Amino acid sequence: MRIVEAFIGEYASGKSENAVNRALELKNLGRTVNLVDLDTVEPFYTLTPIKKELEALGLKVLAWERNEVLGFGETGVLLKPEIRWALKNPGDVIFDVGYGVHGSRSLNLIEGIWQEPNLKVYAVINASRPMTREVDDIVEHVKSLDRVDGLINNTHLGDETTWEVIYDGEEKVLRAAKILGLPVLWTAVDQKLINGNEEMLQKLKTPVKGLVRYMPKTFW
Amino acid sequence: MANKPITGEQRVFMTGNEVIAYAAVMAEADIMYGYPITPQNEIMHYWTRLAPKYGKKFLQTEDELSAGFTTIGGVLAGRKAFTATAGPGNTLMQEPMSMAEMMRIPTLLIVQQRGGPSTATVIYSQQEVTMTTYGGNGEGFRIVYSTSSHQDLYDYVIKGFNTAWKYRFPTFILGDGYQAKMREACVMYDPAERGIELVKPTPYMGAPGTPGVDRKPSHMRNTYNTEEELYEVVMNLAKAYEAIIPEVVEFEELNAFEADTVIIAHGVVSRAAKGAVKELLAEGEKKVGYFRPITLRPLAVNELREIAQRAKKLIIAESSYGQLLKQIKEAIYGTDVEIHTILKPGVGITQEEIVAKYHEVK
Repeated sequence: MRIVEAFIGEYASGKSENAVNRALELKNLGRTVNLVDLDTVEPFYTLTPIKKELEALGLKVLAWERNEVLGFGETGVLLKPEIRWALKNPGDVIFDVGYGVHGSRSLNLIEGIWQEPNLKVYAVINASRPMTREVDDIVEHVKSLDRVDGLINNTHLGDETTWEVIYDGEEKVLRAAKILGLPVLWTAVDQKLINGNEEMLQKLKTPVKGLVRYMPKTFW
Repeated sequence: MANKPITGEQRVFMTGNEVIAYAAVMAEADIMYGYPITPQNEIMHYWTRLAPKYGKKFLQTEDELSAGFTTIGGVLAGRKAFTATAGPGNTLMQEPMSMAEMMRIPTLLIVQQRGGPSTATVIYSQQEVTMTTYGGNGEGFRIVYSTSSHQDLYDYVIKGFNTAWKYRFPTFILGDGYQAKMREACVMYDPAERGIELVKPTPYMGAPGTPGVDRKPSHMRNTYNTEEELYEVVMNLAKAYEAIIPEVVEFEELNAFEADTVIIAHGVVSRAAKGAVKELLAEGEKKVGYFRPITLRPLAVNELREIAQRAKKLIIAESSYGQLLKQIKEAIYGTDVEIHTILKPGVGITQEEIVAKYHEVK
């Protein structure tokens, strides 16, 4: 069965990192994967800088390249035509719905999206982000995103993440999910934190996905 | 209505623009006037998300000229008002900020530097140093804090409001696109819980009572009739500004007053410079130091002169073609220290580049 997933959520909540990692996870299972950069606000900050690297890893990346566009961020944003038709490509499709402000409404730009039977829309939550710090904040935020089919706990503090931060975030995301009647798909944890500390994962109630961080390379 | 978004101390993961919006709320700002420009947009976005929850206001104006002047209007009416901009928006802000300079109106302008000249890139530079410190048709009677981290942004936005209202000179928080957009942890706190007293704004115009009867008339001028009249006003401004310099100047240093080679950088580049000096000291180099001016205006002239008189070499690193360099040269005029540079307009500078430069010139 084809996998079609869209990663949405609060600005800087970890949508791109989770989308990239999910796409690579599926690729490593031998699947054909399209990764779509659907940041319509600031595409120059998202997948464009690592497009070549991800393509070398076997993904098909639907995103602008620097030499294809003039004046990123200042001359208006152009949707790359192939992105509109992303669902026509063979294989799985992972949407990185960047910037976050329009929630799942950004998916309206994709031809046939609401007729796609396999579509799942996941909201990425980092409970260390001030706007989604408390259970009520998370509930209110997720409700503002329109369609959401599940939550991903991506609570962390960058390089200062501790296991307590992750456990605490999971607790909050689980409680919010219960109120919303949504599942929590997984907790994302930096693979560097997992290595050598595997026993710390036992305390988590949700499945765990180890994240390799690609996004720090994108900004500079 | 909730009173404030932060109680106690909270370690959070944020972008710099968000940090600024929260800091402004915690500094008890009343209103932001603004016009969108990357990379400062999220200051407005987050301020407008927080504002209704905490009884704050926002006005989007038609351009930066208007955002600057409406900020002044808000301040005159007794509101703690602020604005934020970048690049070409900062160019337009110079006219209202000159007026604030002339009329001694406290203003806080947050600048997230982007590439220049003109529209250039929306991403990053340190090319707004000259404009932010000395822009407008005046003498640069202003206070400019150059931040280097999210923690700095939080601390100096809170401090910047106090500085502006205490000294009544236009105050600037000079960040950049990297600081605006990058994500890192910082601690947000309630300034009251750390014993920081926030200066309360008072109306400069339209205060209660009858002018000339119950109170002095508030006659704020930015226009004068004769050369002599203006001369007196500007000389008084200069005197007032020079008097506060010792209280306002800030810098950070590491081994700078003992070193033969001192690396000087400000803003986000200072992190690379500090990292380079720590690395070199750890490798056993003893004669290397680091100096970071935090206030770019007023600059720590006395300390820079002391360093230049003692050190043999300076390495000045900045993401511009020499805007900090120019100010340092002026500050250390007359000393014979050798000056080396890493000047990369609109491009970031890494710790490795600075270490390599040190080995090249030492």
